Amino acid sequence: MRISWSERPDEALGGNPQLTNAPVDILIIGSGASGGAVAWRLSDAGFSILCLEQGGWQKPEEYSTASASWEFRAASDFSFNPNVRGLPADYPVNDSESDITPLMFNAVGGSTVHWTAHAPRFHPSDFRVKSLDGVADDWPISYADLEPYYDLNDAWMGCSGIAGDPANPPRLPRPMPPLPLGPDGERLARGFDRLGWHWWPSDSYINSTDYRGRAACNNCGPNGLGCVRRAKASTDVTYWPAAIANGVELRTGARVFEITTGADGRATGARYFDADGTVQFQPARAVILAANGIGTPRLMLLSASARHPHGLANSSGLVGRNLMFHPCAIVTGFFDDGIAPTWQGPLGNILLSQEFYETDPSRGFVRGYTYQMNRSTGPARTAAGFTLPPVRWGAAHHADFAMRFGNSTLLAAHGEDLPEAHNRVELDPVLTDSHGIAAPRIFYRLSENSARQMAHAVANAEAVMRAAGAHSVMSTPLLRSAGWHLMGTARMGDDPARSVVDSNGRAHDVDNLYVVDGSAFVTGAAVNPTPTIQAMALRVADHIRTARADLKSR
Amino acid sequence: MTTAVRSLSEADRTVLRAVMDRLVPPIDDLPGAGTMGLGTEVEAMTGQHSSFHLALVGLLDSLAAKGFATLPGPAQDDAIGAFEKAQPVMFDALLEVVYLAYYGDERVHRRIGWPTGALQPRGFDLPPFDEAILDKTRQRQPFWRPVES
Repeated sequence: MRISWSERPDEALGGNPQLTNAPVDILIIGSGASGGAVAWRLSDAGFSILCLEQGGWQKPEEYSTASASWEFRAASDFSFNPNVRGLPADYPVNDSESDITPLMFNAVGGSTVHWTAHAPRFHPSDFRVKSLDGVADDWPISYADLEPYYDLNDAWMGCSGIAGDPANPPRLPRPMPPLPLGPDGERLARGFDRLGWHWWPSDSYINSTDYRGRAACNNCGPNGLGCVRRAKASTDVTYWPAAIANGVELRTGARVFEITTGADGRATGARYFDADGTVQFQPARAVILAANGIGTPRLMLLSASARHPHGLANSSGLVGRNLMFHPCAIVTGFFDDGIAPTWQGPLGNILLSQEFYETDPSRGFVRGYTYQMNRSTGPARTAAGFTLPPVRWGAAHHADFAMRFGNSTLLAAHGEDLPEAHNRVELDPVLTDSHGIAAPRIFYRLSENSARQMAHAVANAEAVMRAAGAHSVMSTPLLRSAGWHLMGTARMGDDPARSVVDSNGRAHDVDNLYVVDGSAFVTGAAVNPTPTIQAMALRVADHIRTARADLKSR
Repeated sequence: MTTAVRSLSEADRTVLRAVMDRLVPPIDDLPGAGTMGLGTEVEAMTGQHSSFHLALVGLLDSLAAKGFATLPGPAQDDAIGAFEKAQPVMFDALLEVVYLAYYGDERVHRRIGWPTGALQPRGFDLPPFDEAILDKTRQRQPFWRPVES
């Protein structure tokens, strides 16, 4: 049984009646980075709030690093690729037509359970791409509009780092000092220094000290696999406890398949499968979508109706369009200088370089990229390749392994993708999830600009590695399994013909529908998007607090 | 796992052991991965994850047809290489699970200097961040592009 926009579950289910819940003022779909932030910020404003999350609560003490088989779990049920995990809360994604495979996690906390918690901010120029560089579009908001929300989010999530980075505008002192660079980080930093290139300790949402009841990181390594110590911020251990304490209800095991609308086209709530597989209707006075840059457009396309024939709030035709990732090149340097094993310390939160961030036309491409240092990993993941081809099997195996294991440092270059309408999310005509709901299908091709960007990044990263003392270097020009950042598919703008939501995240076509996740991005910058996603979500919440008293039922 | 798990026959296990010895050969005092008895670990892992299981079955069926277990070493490598070329995705999955089994073994950990067991609550000690390392970067003038409000 396949459910798409053209079918209605009650018909598909043979007319079985759905259960209807008591109405709420605000219904949030998704409990990840943005869902948690918006829920907390609204939680003391007098609204009745419910969040529907298709996954469940995680138990940090059961994360894979608490067991000796953590590497097997990372390759199977705790992979960051939903198509590999195949857990009940996952839905498949048809990525056969994509140069980059999307990565996500469905649970309370969403993909923040799996992320490495890098926390850079957009630059002011990232909001003015059209005005400055003649491509893409400008945002209808600015860095200044988000700055207080970046600060608020840094305090809530817990940011370790150090102010004074010359590549970024001044900002408040970080709540915690930087994470340790380690001998491998210091080695790479000296490489940047020798070239006269910028580097700075990464802002990270990982505790370098005990912070707000959560322990400090103890440098176990693979922080993309959940954090047993809760040292790494995820919204299940930061925003959600506070939101729930203020009265927000979080209902798990709830797989939404439709945002319902009335005859006037306004949102009336959502229909979902509960944990027992029963269809439920949740009425609401407003709906906030926080289901990530693939989940949100999928849901909007599933919610077509007579008033929204091309998908919910899609008069522009842009729902699902302009899908952006951060193309990622990986350059790995191998060392034999005896520096301590390179698996000790957080995987990816050491240092970054934005030497090549701002546009310089002489490079042959527009926009730029950020380098982020990553450490090496455990033995099985090293042998399987991780970001490289697998270690050779056979006669060359042991020598090949010995060169890589504990002796490597890598630079990941995250490039700024440009929004292109042909890169998009659609509903798959065949593939469904376990409830029969049409799965998303993505179409994505790397642009020429991005390809030139990555080539430039690889060449310069190789130079950094050699300056740091690497005896050899291996490069991956485009890492396919790098679709961590999902952006652009319900873009923000002032013109309803060229955007889906306005500067407050409100859908142009539906005045009680909001989008707060990366779908609303106009451009993607060249940094991890989550702090910006969360800052936007907090700002949207403040707009609702101040301007939408009409959404309160009491 | 939704795919039905096929139980391995003794003939399958013989081929698997031989394959694993070719993939990860002996070193120092450690025999090849198959002779180490890690085929049981591979069976257990593939039984828990369908893509691994499909890869294992695919490889075994392909190699059994060639009389793999009786071939000399170089010919075994040729047969494995042919499967790798014909079924690269399946081969990579099989290779991954063999590596997971081999590099999950304590004997191997002792040899390569990896601390066996869970990473938590152990962790690792690193010296705290020293601001002195920022001296050169701090001399840099701000170079982010300002934007008019």
